[in-house]
Parts: sequence; C-alpha cells; structure tokens
Amino acid sequence: MSSDPTDEYLERVKAEIRAEADAARLRKPLPRKALPGSSAGETVRNDGIDRGRLDYAIGELTGLQYAAFVDNAFRVLLKRPADEPGKDRQLRLLAVGASKAEVLGNLRYSSEGRRVGVRVRGLLPRYALAKLVHVPIIGYLLEWLLALAAVPLLLRHQRGADTQNAARFDDVAAQLMRRAEEQQALAARLDQVQRQIDETRAQFAARAEALEQRAATLELRTQALSDSIGDLPDLRHHILAVNHWSVSLQQSFAEIDDAATAGAERAQSLIAAMYGAPDALADREARGARWLAALQARASAPARVLDLGSGDGDWIARLGAHGYDAVGVESNKFLGARARERALTVVVDEPFTWLARCADEDLDVITCSGGLPRNDDALVDALAHLRRALKPGGWLMIDCIQTQPTGVLPEPRGDVARTSRAVAASGFSLDASASLADAVLAQRR
Amino acid sequence: MLLPGLAPYDAVSNDALGMTAALRTFGHDVVLFALHAKDIDEPVQPPETIERWIESPDDVVIYHYCTGWDFPLQLLRRLKARRVLRYHNITPPEFFEGWSAGYVAACADGRAQLDAYAAMQCELYLGDSPFNNRDFVERGADPARCAVLPPFHHVERLLAAQPDTRRLPDTDGAPTLLMVGRIAPSKNDFALIDALAACRETVDPRARLLRVGKLDPNLATYGIAMREHIRVRDVEHNVITLEDASGAELRAAYAAADALVMLSAHEGFCVPLIEAMALGTPIVSLGSSAIPWTLQGAGLVWDEADPHVIAASIARLRGDPDLRASLSDLGMERYRSAFAPAVLIEGLREAMARLDAVPA
Repeated sequence: MSSDPTDEYLERVKAEIRAEADAARLRKPLPRKALPGSSAGETVRNDGIDRGRLDYAIGELTGLQYAAFVDNAFRVLLKRPADEPGKDRQLRLLAVGASKAEVLGNLRYSSEGRRVGVRVRGLLPRYALAKLVHVPIIGYLLEWLLALAAVPLLLRHQRGADTQNAARFDDVAAQLMRRAEEQQALAARLDQVQRQIDETRAQFAARAEALEQRAATLELRTQALSDSIGDLPDLRHHILAVNHWSVSLQQSFAEIDDAATAGAERAQSLIAAMYGAPDALADREARGARWLAALQARASAPARVLDLGSGDGDWIARLGAHGYDAVGVESNKFLGARARERALTVVVDEPFTWLARCADEDLDVITCSGGLPRNDDALVDALAHLRRALKPGGWLMIDCIQTQPTGVLPEPRGDVARTSRAVAASGFSLDASASLADAVLAQRR
Repeated sequence: MLLPGLAPYDAVSNDALGMTAALRTFGHDVVLFALHAKDIDEPVQPPETIERWIESPDDVVIYHYCTGWDFPLQLLRRLKARRVLRYHNITPPEFFEGWSAGYVAACADGRAQLDAYAAMQCELYLGDSPFNNRDFVERGADPARCAVLPPFHHVERLLAAQPDTRRLPDTDGAPTLLMVGRIAPSKNDFALIDALAACRETVDPRARLLRVGKLDPNLATYGIAMREHIRVRDVEHNVITLEDASGAELRAAYAAADALVMLSAHEGFCVPLIEAMALGTPIVSLGSSAIPWTLQGAGLVWDEADPHVIAASIARLRGDPDLRASLSDLGMERYRSAFAPAVLIEGLREAMARLDAVPA
C-alpha cells in the first residue's frame, strides 16, 4: 500500500465502489433482451455460435449424425468450433459403438464444459449409464439387461429404420433417375455443342485455306514487285541515259538556235549592206520615181495596189506616201521584218502562192517588184492569176532588171522582151508609152 | 522523418509534425518522407528519395513504426546514418480474430518486424511509453538505447476550442459516459456497453454513452455485433455515436461527460487520457497495457472491466464532488508535468542528446 495520502484516499474509495458494485450485481443483474427470432437474449458472433444460450434438451442435440453431430456438440457445449484432435477422438468413439449421450457427456462434463456450464436436460442419467457399462462384469451384465429391455424399442427402431431406408432408397432411386435424365440431356447438349464445334472447326479450316491461297497470291505479287524493284538499276541506267541524251539534244537545239541567230545576223548584215549601199539607194530612188510617175498617169490614188516581192517595202512605202492603198508580199522573212518595222502592210509568204488566194477582179494595180517565176509552167499560172486578180482595165507592172549592184543574188530576173511577149499572150495589152526600160507595163483586157 | 502516411487528426501524424517543428527550433534541418500525405501544409517527399537526402553518417532518420512496411526495414539495415525508431505500438492480431482476416494479417506482419528492428540495434528506440519499449527490450534491444517520449499532440488546440454542443444530447443531468477512440475490438466496446447497461439499472435509467470515434468498414462484422449487443442490453436509445467530431464538439463532449470511461484492452499510450486530464474530466479506466503509466494514478483504474464496478464508479463520481475535484486536479497536474508541449520539447531535446552520446 502506497504511503501517499492521495493514493490511500483513492484506494479507500475504490474499495467502497467495489462493495457497492457487488451489491448491485446481486440486486440488478445485467438485462438481456430477447431479440426477434431467438429464445433468449443471443449474442451470436459471425461464427454462428450462440454464446447466449445455455439451456438445451438432449433431444435437440442428438438429431444430427456422425461429423455434423460432433461439430454441433462442440459449438453448443463448448461454445467454440471443434478442434481436430478433439473431434477425431469423439468420432472414433462413435465408430466403436459409443452412444451419442456418451459423446455429449464427454464434452459437457470436461473441465472446459464445466466452465462453460451449458445445461442439457436428460443428459446426466444417460451419460452415467453410458459410463457404467464400461465397468467390468457389472457393466457387461447391465448392458445385457439394457439391451434386452431395449429389444422392443430396437425392433421398433429397426422397422422404422427399414421403412426410412426404403423411403430413402426410393428417394435416391428417384434422384438417380432424375440425374440420369439430366445426364442424358447433358450428353445430348454436349453432342450438339460438339457438332457446332466441328462445324466451326470446318469453317475455320476453309477460311484458313482461303487465307493461305491469298497469302500465296500475295507472295507471288510481292515477288513480282521485288523483281520489278530488281529491274530498277537498269531502269535507272536508262533514265540516266535518256537524261543525258535530252541534255545533249538541248545543247544541239541551243547550237542550232545560236546558228540560226548567227545566220539571221549575217542575213541582216547582208541585207543592210545590200539595201543600204549608197549607189543602191540612189538607183532605187530613181526607179521608184519613174514607176510612180507611170502609175499615177494610169491609176490614181487611192487605187488598191498589190506588190509581189516587195523586199524591204521601199516601193509600197512610196505608193502609200502618195495615197495608194498598197500591200506587199515578200518571201524573205528578214526583208519582211524590215518592212513591218516601217509600219508597212507586208505579208511574208511566197508571192505567187499568195496571189492564187486573192479574190477575182479585186485589185486595181499589181506590181511585181520581184519579177515573174522563171519556170514556164509557173509563169503561165502566175500570169493567169495576175489577170484574174486584176479588175478589168487594171494595170500590171513587172520589174525585169536585176537591181542589186553588188551581184549578190545568183541570177537576173529576166528581160523585157520576153516578159512583154508573155504578158501580151496572157490577156493583157502592153503599154510602151511609159518608156520604162526596166519594166513591162500592161493593162488587163 | 519517415512514416507511412500523413493526415490531419491522426495521432502518428500529429507526433511526426510536432517533432518536426520542435527539431527545427533546435536548429535541425528536417524533411518529411511519406507514401501519402493529405491536407498537410508541409512539403512531403516520396520515401524512395530519402537516401539522396542523407549526406553524412551524423544525419538522423526517425522512422515512425506503427504498421508493417518492408521499405524502412530494408532501409534502416543499409543506412549509413543514425537511426531512431519511434514506436507507436501495433495492436496484437489476436484482438481481430474472427472479425477481420485483413487486420489479423496486417497486425501480424507489423509485429513480426519487431524482432528484426530489435536485432538491428538502432541508435535510439523512442517509445511513446515504457510499455511500448518493452516490445524491443524483450527481443534483445539494448535498454541503454531505449528512451520514452510521449507523443506530441493537439491538446492545446482542444483547450482553446469553443465547445460546440449542437450534436450532443441535452444537458438534463443524466449520467454521461464518454469514450473516445476508433471503434475496434481492442477498445472493448462490449464491456463499455455492459457498463452503460449496468448504469441504467443501478444509477439512472437515462444514463447514456457518448461514443466518439469511427468504425473502419473493414471491421463491419464487429460493428454489426456491437449493434446486436446494444440491442441485447436494451440500450439502443442510450448510445450516441459521433463519427467525425470536430475539436469544438470533442471539447463539448469532455465537458458534458461525468467521466471518460476507457476500458481499452490494448493501448501504446492513449491520447484521449491526456485530453481528459487536460480538460479536467475524471477518468474511469481498465488498467491494461500503457494506461496505468499514462495516468500515474490520475483516475479510477481497475484490473477488470466489471460493468457493475464501472457503473458504481460513475455513481460515486456523480455523488462525491470531492472525489471528482481530486481526480480532476490530479489529471491536470499530470498533464502539466508530463505532457504539456514544453515538457515534450524538452524530452525530445534530451532524447537527441542521448542519441549524440550513442557510440557510432
């Protein structure tokens, strides 16, 4: 005991409290309310053992058999699940013929059973008898007496057991019949399922085969593609060769262009030299004046004049300056270009080819600055078209003399006499009154 | 500071955060490591990064051991730093037999690591109570490396709270038993219900129990059995359960109670006891585990949870103002001398000094 006054005080108080508690326990035990569905206040944990119930009749505990009986006995009498060694011990007792009362008594009157204190009405005398039959000699005699006394009961039990067994046999037979029917139904179902499986398997096999074929086709195509891809180096070589050739072609075109350009430049230079030479200019000026005078006396402006072989357009420029509606046709593109640069109306074409497309009796005057064709057949055609294109009474003037003093052109255009005879034979009336030494002047009849 | 998780109102979290704050006032650099943290105003690092933080063998790792967890076991084995095992105890698995296989396994796993931690010879075993330290000493830990430091707590916040009685029953003079703590088999709620029934029979039929605490859904079978037992004892209308009581409501509950009735069969320290002591609420308790040490006589402590003894204790407290005042004074004095924040801070300082004295 502590010497602290406070501790002494508390100990004294606690002793008084204990005394009050002891008195209250006897006077007012703890309430135990009966819950719906239970015979007394139960306290059942989740293991299903009713720890609140402590009173049973023996008949409540002997209805089960074998392991279920022993398990229930542990749960009721010891309020716990059976442990394996303990359960095994009681089962072995049953197996050697011990009564259920003996097993129940073993558990109830064990030290643990006594602590739990479950009351089982009718158990004690039966347990005592069960133990008494184990006493040598007396127990044997007693067991005989009990057995003899129990014969009517045993016979009754036997008849009852026979009836129960027969009933159970009928039940079992009925169950077996039902199981057999169920099994048949299951077997039929299994067969059906098996058939479905087989069909499905066959479908899968067919699809697998189809897939294999597709795979084989794919493989072939893949191989072909691979082969094509294998040709790629050759193709590449070809492409490179073509590319090289096209580059060379481009270079050739470029050289041609260069040559053409150079040629054109040379032609330009030549033409410039030919037409720009001072003596050539003077000569052309004089001739042009003579021709203009001759024409003005016979066809007044604004007569329509076509000049075939108009060159750089000098003659039609002169005509245009004096009010004539003059058009030129020149085969040389460079000369034609020069004439167009002077804003003259010049067609670049073969002059007598172009004449053939002219309308009939459409022109007042046709001048042939470039002369007539030398070929007889062409001459005949030319003279025919000249007459056709001129209006009746229209005038024709033909240049017969080569006028380039440098002698560059290969041949002279022809002489006056020959040209005159040809013109006169083609439906024209010659007019010598103009006294043109280098040209033929005629009127269409 | 290493612990499984941090959450508000959790006793282990409160202790870890309290220690962290105190250590920082000593000038230490403290970092918290936890698997999860919720509503904590403090950076918390993942545990796997803890070794990167350790730079010197003089650094200290304080592991709050309150459950089975393999990571700290392996960590402390290989760590080149000083190790402090802060032990909050783990409930023996037997308490959960028949209620939750999960709890049985978790508690068994947790307690299975005691041998390994004891064999490790950590530099310091810092238990909440001598009862806790016994677990290591019995397994071979050097007693010289064991120290006791009660857990840091939030009782001061409770003292400062304004009582909120809105969810409490009317103050009509009926006897009021109070129990604070999670609803679990180790808390001996069946005995508490029996005590309430005895109170109704012998003291006042209006006697009621204020049960402050939550039931883990994993212990649903225990909750069902408890409700069944409440019905068997015919006290269905006399049990008021407050699951998520705020500090203000808890303050009001302590004020309304005739006594905190703590019949828990296993406690490593029992924070509700120091809450009751600080607030002057008399305590009637079972003298199990660490409870006698925590109380040191500041309550009516019994060897058995006899319902009639508990009821008689309540009756005596109601009818004896001197006893009530005496127990209230003893409780407040015990709190001031052993569990006030300043005392705990000083205790931690002494523990750190002991740690420094441990040879490498």
